[in-house]
Amino acid sequence: MKTDVAVIGTGLSALAAARTIQQSGRQVVLVWPGLSSLYFLFATVDVLGYPTADATEPVADPGGAVARLIEREPTHPYARAGIDAVRAGTQLMLEWFKQAGLAWEGGLDRNFLLPTATGTPKPCCLAPASMTNGDLSRPEPIVLCGFTGYQDFAPELAASNLKRQWSAAEVSAVRVTAPGYGPDRLFTSVDLARSFEDATFRDAVAAQLRERLSGDTVRVGVPGVLGLTTPNKTFAAFQRAVGHPIFEIPTVPPSVIALRLFDRLRKHLQESGIEIIWSAPAHAAQVTDGRCRNILLKAAGHELPIEAAAYVVALEDWVDGAFRAGVHTVRDPFFHRPLAWNKVPTDRTAESLFSTQPFEQVGYALTERLQPADENGKAIAQNVFCAGGAIAGYDPSGTKSRGGMAIATGYRAAREALAA
Amino acid sequence: MPDTSTGVVVIGGGSTGAGVLRDLALRGIDAILVEKGDLASGTTGRSHGLLHSGGRYCVNDEQAAIECVEEGRILRRIARSTVEDTGGYFVSVTEEDREWEPRFVEGCRRTGITCERISLDEARRREPALSRQVRTVFWVPEDGHLDPFYLVVGNVESARRRGARVLTHTEVTGFLRDGDRVTGVRIKDSKTNEEGSIACQSVINATGAWSGLVARLLGVEVKVVPVKGTMVVLSRRLAHAAINRCHKPGDGDIVVPGLSVSILGTTSAKVPHPETLPIEWDEVRRMIEEGAMMLDGVTTARAMRAYAGVRPLYDLGAEAEGREMSRNFAVIDHQVRDGITGFTSIVGGKVTTFRLMAERVVDVAAGHLGVRTPCTTAEVPLNDREEPLDQLRHRPSLLGVPKPHGDEPPLQPLLCECELVRPQDVAPWFRDPAVRDLEDVRRRTRSGMGPCQAAICSYRLAARLVSDRGLDGASATRAMADFLETRWRGVRHVFWGSQLRNMQVTTGLHMELYNLDRELMKSPLPRPSRNLPRPLAGESQGGGDSAEPAEVAGKR
Amino acid sequence: MITEEFEPATDTVEEEASVEACTKCTACNTVCPVARSTDIFRGPKALGPDMERFRSPQEAAVTPGLDLCSGCKLCEVTCPSQVSIQEYIRRAQNQGAREKGRSLRDWVLGRTRLLGKLGSMTAPLANFGNSNPLFRLLMERFVGIHRRRPLPKYQWLTFERWFKRHSHGNSLPRSRGRVRVGARRKVAYFYGCWVNYNDRRLGERAVAILERNGIEVIVPSQQCCGIPAVVNSNMDLARRYGQQNVRRLTPVAQEMDIVASSTSCGLMLKHDYGHLLDIPGSERLGAKTYDIMEYLWMLHEAGELDTDFQTVPMRLLYHAPCHLKSHGIGYPAMRLLRLIPGVNLEEVDEGCCGISGTFGVKVEKYDLSMKIGSRLFEAVKAAGSDYVLADCETCRMQVEHGAGAISAHPLEILARAYGHG
Repeated sequence: MKTDVAVIGTGLSALAAARTIQQSGRQVVLVWPGLSSLYFLFATVDVLGYPTADATEPVADPGGAVARLIEREPTHPYARAGIDAVRAGTQLMLEWFKQAGLAWEGGLDRNFLLPTATGTPKPCCLAPASMTNGDLSRPEPIVLCGFTGYQDFAPELAASNLKRQWSAAEVSAVRVTAPGYGPDRLFTSVDLARSFEDATFRDAVAAQLRERLSGDTVRVGVPGVLGLTTPNKTFAAFQRAVGHPIFEIPTVPPSVIALRLFDRLRKHLQESGIEIIWSAPAHAAQVTDGRCRNILLKAAGHELPIEAAAYVVALEDWVDGAFRAGVHTVRDPFFHRPLAWNKVPTDRTAESLFSTQPFEQVGYALTERLQPADENGKAIAQNVFCAGGAIAGYDPSGTKSRGGMAIATGYRAAREALAA
Repeated sequence: MPDTSTGVVVIGGGSTGAGVLRDLALRGIDAILVEKGDLASGTTGRSHGLLHSGGRYCVNDEQAAIECVEEGRILRRIARSTVEDTGGYFVSVTEEDREWEPRFVEGCRRTGITCERISLDEARRREPALSRQVRTVFWVPEDGHLDPFYLVVGNVESARRRGARVLTHTEVTGFLRDGDRVTGVRIKDSKTNEEGSIACQSVINATGAWSGLVARLLGVEVKVVPVKGTMVVLSRRLAHAAINRCHKPGDGDIVVPGLSVSILGTTSAKVPHPETLPIEWDEVRRMIEEGAMMLDGVTTARAMRAYAGVRPLYDLGAEAEGREMSRNFAVIDHQVRDGITGFTSIVGGKVTTFRLMAERVVDVAAGHLGVRTPCTTAEVPLNDREEPLDQLRHRPSLLGVPKPHGDEPPLQPLLCECELVRPQDVAPWFRDPAVRDLEDVRRRTRSGMGPCQAAICSYRLAARLVSDRGLDGASATRAMADFLETRWRGVRHVFWGSQLRNMQVTTGLHMELYNLDRELMKSPLPRPSRNLPRPLAGESQGGGDSAEPAEVAGKR
Repeated sequence: MITEEFEPATDTVEEEASVEACTKCTACNTVCPVARSTDIFRGPKALGPDMERFRSPQEAAVTPGLDLCSGCKLCEVTCPSQVSIQEYIRRAQNQGAREKGRSLRDWVLGRTRLLGKLGSMTAPLANFGNSNPLFRLLMERFVGIHRRRPLPKYQWLTFERWFKRHSHGNSLPRSRGRVRVGARRKVAYFYGCWVNYNDRRLGERAVAILERNGIEVIVPSQQCCGIPAVVNSNMDLARRYGQQNVRRLTPVAQEMDIVASSTSCGLMLKHDYGHLLDIPGSERLGAKTYDIMEYLWMLHEAGELDTDFQTVPMRLLYHAPCHLKSHGIGYPAMRLLRLIPGVNLEEVDEGCCGISGTFGVKVEKYDLSMKIGSRLFEAVKAAGSDYVLADCETCRMQVEHGAGAISAHPLEILARAYGHG
């Protein structure tokens, strides 16, 4: 199969790359071996929540903070992508969300501070409009609302923690009954989301809530279950019925909020004529004279060679097969080069789960143009460009920067691919 | 904490202590069990779970083998819900193994262990995973799986129903004496640091590898040497039955099917303290290699975690006096040996023979109390009320579908999806005061013991700490983090392949979706102690692991 | 010049597509069409990777609800770890059926070829019965097939018999094993039970299109692909069919490629014979099997496709069958049809149509299948089009039934472009 640019990936970096190429008018094929295992993290796009993994104070100005980080850490994936890619990529995505019918808010000039499912304030840069009423920089009191018997959102836990860390106004917790749900019925976020699309259900929940709320200004935090296929309508209708500002909180997977994003963006790409190849993971790159001739996909029965002028490799991270971790050796799935070797598997990890982990630093070394580089810094393949978790040093978990890094690297890799 | 009194204080909440508590209760003796960690958090909970047919001992230790045979039969009768009749195979791989075979066959015959040689074809039909290297196969139907957690908790619950009490996370810090008579124990709650005491007429020391440390508090010597054993858990059952190597007992020569996992074990190394159990990479590697000799797929299976436990190695030959009941365990009547009244120790042994060990030591202690009621633990079933069996393998059938598709029970949500644990399985434990943290919940329900290692259920469990236990958010979040950290400690040793990938789901979810790391940084609670004793001078912490569950196979 | 080819190394410690690769991310549950349409299905994560650890060959696969898995494989397609989720569910279901016994319906629905033979032999009668309300009531009562499900019409003249005549007719004379002058290549056509007994014209189109492109079409002796047996609790029967196909087609595959015009037949040959049924020799066969639209696109990329198309001014919707996603080839039909002048082609992506082969035919599953497809039906009605195209025959049946549209295989449009009415 032939195309101009092949984007191989699973998460937001692949989508950002595909969109960038599409906007240029060139042909792009998206090889989408599956939805990313980390899809649920894209309920928001986090550009830079904290300046370092240890800092406790959130970043107020993510755009500026990223620029400063780039100066401080020239090998950071953000530095690889460049501040222009951060800005242009974010702009591209915001416009895309809008075009695709997604109601998202935010920009590089500020972070929202949104409560998580554990009630912890978290800085996020871009967020669905259905979440932003929860911004803790606003002073209105908050009621967190869960459902009796629903184990994936604990308003009591969240309220207790939020109260401690946010003193601007009162926080309390309530639970209401979800009509028709009992101990003998599956009760996941997706089940609830479907139910919320029904007006009778929605109104019954809203009525219970209205009774429990006092005060005009109070806003209500609910788990991310307000509709799956018609979220804008569902959110608006629910908010009207309750008569108070509502905000969603993303919680235990399956993540309805993230699913809305991926479903809509993917469909939008398809509607505009981009072909998506499902279920055919890439397993080898065929490189001759420093150029990648094709990448072999494992289709049913036989290999499908994708031949493109340029390739963007944008697998989200380890989980999605960006690397293959043997007992000692880590290899990449395209060139099968050893990227890391550990005598002892524990060396890949820190003692604490919540510390920066050595294994997250593993990845392709890159040239200036985001091509995968060998030990001498020379491009392994001139026309292959890396985005997402495959890049060395891609570790967004401490700084809360996954979405931003995905977009920036996806955008930059795509632009380099276009110039190749 | 308020001081209290009882008839007997049982120190140690492993299988022996739990068995002792139950035996005392059945004889009508008031007792309190005091355990420094959680029930089965010491040697027993780190046992690989083999219900010994005795085949592993029948050549070198006939008496141990016979005890296993008898106790195995008793357990199947009285503790049905803790036993899975997996059966076992003894397989030969090398020439040396083949030379062992006739001794093995003869040993089985002498000790009454059913042992049947089967053809390789038949063996591979039954267990397709048997490796190509296997040359001879013996079928030993009386090997089985004995779930150590269900066993200990089952015994304790049985005792509690008869009025016994349990204090977990409570350490005995000293003894109350009246001259040479023990009159009680001093205790300290390790979660709250509260201190107190329990007055009693007798103390039974059932602390296994810790026996020496406890006895020292009384100024008495019990020479127990802690011996570490490392095990590797694979995330599924490769073989239905236990697979033993047919040879002189050595390292890594057994793969035990434990409910939904396979456990490869084990090694043997003396350690200075029962809680200093560093896991070495070499041990992990060896377990996998040895296991691969017997079963195909061991090297390609997903390794889920590794853990180490400690066996209580007791030099029975060194005992001058004291009632020696068996070559494998001993009851030390300290009145006879040390002139101290009201203190009895039970040392050595293995999980399979816990009931017999308990019987023997309670005979002695009860005798001193003037209680002549005979032991009935071999007759009275463990689940002596009408409680439904909670055997894990029946769980899928509990997760039914309503009509018209079936008559099965309705579709209930799951709290731990990996191990099929329902909210109602977990709820009663949140009401139990002996359950103090999420690890305690894990042991009793298996939540968090599946491949994702609590990635999903951690939040659901923390939520219950608030709603069911009234904990505040900070404590619940800290408990959630601690739980994940203990899971992490075991996963680190097998950090490759899909387990590595799965941990990225865990870190992503907790750090990026919940922002848990910042929650912890801002927590008013101090970071937890790692529950490790200070290393002795000159000792390194090695891989830096806390005591993690390990195996007891009666290895020397 | 040195060619640096990097051999795919088996570096992962775990086996490919193994259930052990599951990272519990729940992505599969989010796309399952059954889970989103009913409360009584736990979803692929639970019935696949979660429960698989509790299954053993010795114990009955007692998990209820397995039969609610429609077999669409969207879970597998979405899985970021490439776990063959549906295969585990299917095997467990089969094991359960082996132990508990199969129903009359399982027996009937698993034997499509036999039904086809009987149906075509008694064509006018069979078709009458299948649309007669009383007969359908009895069928529902005694066999378990929903009375409202339109059943395919049988044709007296099968494709096989037609082709025998055709190949002795005037187009490209057929001769066994010899390439005729004028034929650039040969291809073996796996026609499948549907074309043979219910839609011979589709087969005629396929042959005409291939011959138009200078390809000699061979129709080797073949058996039902076996997928109806797989999804009706009889993997043993499916395996027997598969073994027959491997036996008959392997010598053919040595000389030429094999094309299939039914999505699911193609997937069986390419993938499931090896992966699910463990049939020896199936990998070689799978490597030479192509979906017909995939094959035609490959010809086009090689410059061998006749693109002298007539204008076909039609508004067309394309519904990608779920199983096509599992092929891992993208949507070659859309690429091809967009080469035809006049064609206005849009994809309608509303997920599974709901029928999933024999799933939606069953009395207790009909309503569920219609609910699953309801989004698609609404979208089709709203869009309005001349035809709704789908490579899979049961998708076509469902779209016609649920949306009242006319549905056709993409080959129909190609045939028009080549001037075949």
